[in-house]
Amino acid sequence: MENVVELTNVTKTFKDFSIKNMDLQVKQGFVTGFIGANGAGKSTTIKMIMNLLRPDAGEVKLFGLDYKTHEKAMKERIGFVYDGNVFFDGLNLKDIKRIVAPAYKQWDDTLFYRYVEQFELPLTKAMKTFSKGMQMKASLAIALSHHAELIIMDEPTAGLDPIFRRELLDLLQELMMDGDRTIFFSTHITTDLDRIADYIAFIQSGELVFNQSIHEVAENYALVKGGLELLDRDTEKAFIHIHRAPTGFEALADNMKAVKSIFGDTVVIERASLEDIMYYMKGGVPHV
Amino acid sequence: MKIIISNSSKEPIYEQITSQIKSAILAGELQEGTAIPSMRKLAKDLKISVITTKRAYEELEKAGFIYSIVGKGSFIAEQNLEVIKEKKLKVIEEQLGAVVTNSREIGLSLNELQQLLKIIYEGEG
Amino acid sequence: MFNLIRRDVILQKKMLLTFIPFIGFFIFMDSHPALIFLVASIFIPFNAYAYDEKAETNILLNSLPYTRKEIIASRYLGAIVYMALSIAVTSLALFIFNKPFALSDIAIGGGLFLLFTACTFPLFYIFKPGYISSVVLISFIFLAGIGPPIVIFLAENLTAITDFIASLSIPVIYTGAAVVIMTLYAVSWGVTTIIYQRKAF
Repeated sequence: MENVVELTNVTKTFKDFSIKNMDLQVKQGFVTGFIGANGAGKSTTIKMIMNLLRPDAGEVKLFGLDYKTHEKAMKERIGFVYDGNVFFDGLNLKDIKRIVAPAYKQWDDTLFYRYVEQFELPLTKAMKTFSKGMQMKASLAIALSHHAELIIMDEPTAGLDPIFRRELLDLLQELMMDGDRTIFFSTHITTDLDRIADYIAFIQSGELVFNQSIHEVAENYALVKGGLELLDRDTEKAFIHIHRAPTGFEALADNMKAVKSIFGDTVVIERASLEDIMYYMKGGVPHV
Repeated sequence: MKIIISNSSKEPIYEQITSQIKSAILAGELQEGTAIPSMRKLAKDLKISVITTKRAYEELEKAGFIYSIVGKGSFIAEQNLEVIKEKKLKVIEEQLGAVVTNSREIGLSLNELQQLLKIIYEGEG
Repeated sequence: MFNLIRRDVILQKKMLLTFIPFIGFFIFMDSHPALIFLVASIFIPFNAYAYDEKAETNILLNSLPYTRKEIIASRYLGAIVYMALSIAVTSLALFIFNKPFALSDIAIGGGLFLLFTACTFPLFYIFKPGYISSVVLISFIFLAGIGPPIVIFLAENLTAITDFIASLSIPVIYTGAAVVIMTLYAVSWGVTTIIYQRKAF
């Protein structure tokens, strides 16, 4: 079983937004970063993966299993961290643990207290008194204490300071020492991904633009700069999006090799960062 | 095993890893049969993604520098250093030949060429 | 399942401290024992909803290894469990304060509670959170305040039915009421399960 998460042809339509025919695979043993602008459909997709939302059409499979028949077994193997605090904010961590722990067969109290200590979390203070970072750490401690194979996080780094963000990435990397573990997390802070992500899934207006390894992204996507005289109806086809200025053009291409063979040394070709890709594609994905 | 990664380098990170491990092997710092860290451990230590170390190890394995045993880890493969060095030397000879041809074309003297080589050699050191 | 029911106690630890004074108030007001049993039974299950609407509890519960069927079942079974416990505590309190009560008071209080539960639980899943407290309050006032006059009105005007009921023996009335209430409870449970399974969070 190579794909831990497998979405096939998933469609979900809302009044003003929809996910269209999404195929998404998350590979076992790797970190997949799920990027996209606000409102691109990241949370909706995660909710469908968590069965909080049912797709109108298509199939959602985790560990090769279906929610219709194996919901409990599947959720037993998932650790989740959401953007906001989903725990009862009037309760302290100890009481929250008393509610959550018995839900899992594999709950590990020793492990939980180790994370509580590592994250310096107070056990007897109400969750609502926690800072955003502490709430996140508390959610994480709970998500990691039942030996989950798949860790799903919705914007875990949003609103965190840079130091804690780095600590979080260190921790995730430590978790990945276990080769069977898979992490899938959404973010719009692309620098989080440069360090730990193995695969990048990019969603745009409810459509999955690509799901590639970081090497493929680095080798395919390029930022190309050159003089305006190089552009004509044929050469423009090499690009996804072109910005023109009096001084020259800047364009995003998704096939670096093709650009090299068309323009040779007449243009400057740079590696496109994830942010470049997101920025240039914000106008939508052209369908060629 | 010492590996230093530069994030600002143009060279991809996996290539930085492979070339540093290769030179350590060629310099005799990593002996045949030595266990090297698992790719997950190396990724954690270098604070890079697993897929990057995976790719580096795969390329090293393809080139015959290391081998992996499932469940045991990766090890430095037996190297015929003499053969490798000889091969490298041959490549260098060919490249130098091209350099000399180019130099003659523009009338660069041996002395000037030597000086140029010296600057580059020491500059890169 | 047991864990889901137990969580109400953990959540309401502090609220539970007000449980005894709450019953005490009704006892000192010299309320009818059946009414005391009714309000005592309502205390925990309905407070639970007040908590559930505060946090994004449904997201949490549905992300844990529980099925939606179980989450609803825990509500309906929990209501019965907490009703039994509340009745036990209330009986003890009445006994200590030397207030007489009959077994029929327990039956009426419990029966009314189950009826009330069957009517209101589905509403929690139909109305948006935020309105829930008002829904409970209004339905309670409705049932407590407007209910009895209507029953009396019906009793006076539909003599055919009242005559029929009056002609029945006490055990038959009780059994009949129990069957009706249990049926309603089961239907309500089924309806709520269907509503909940269709919900998105």
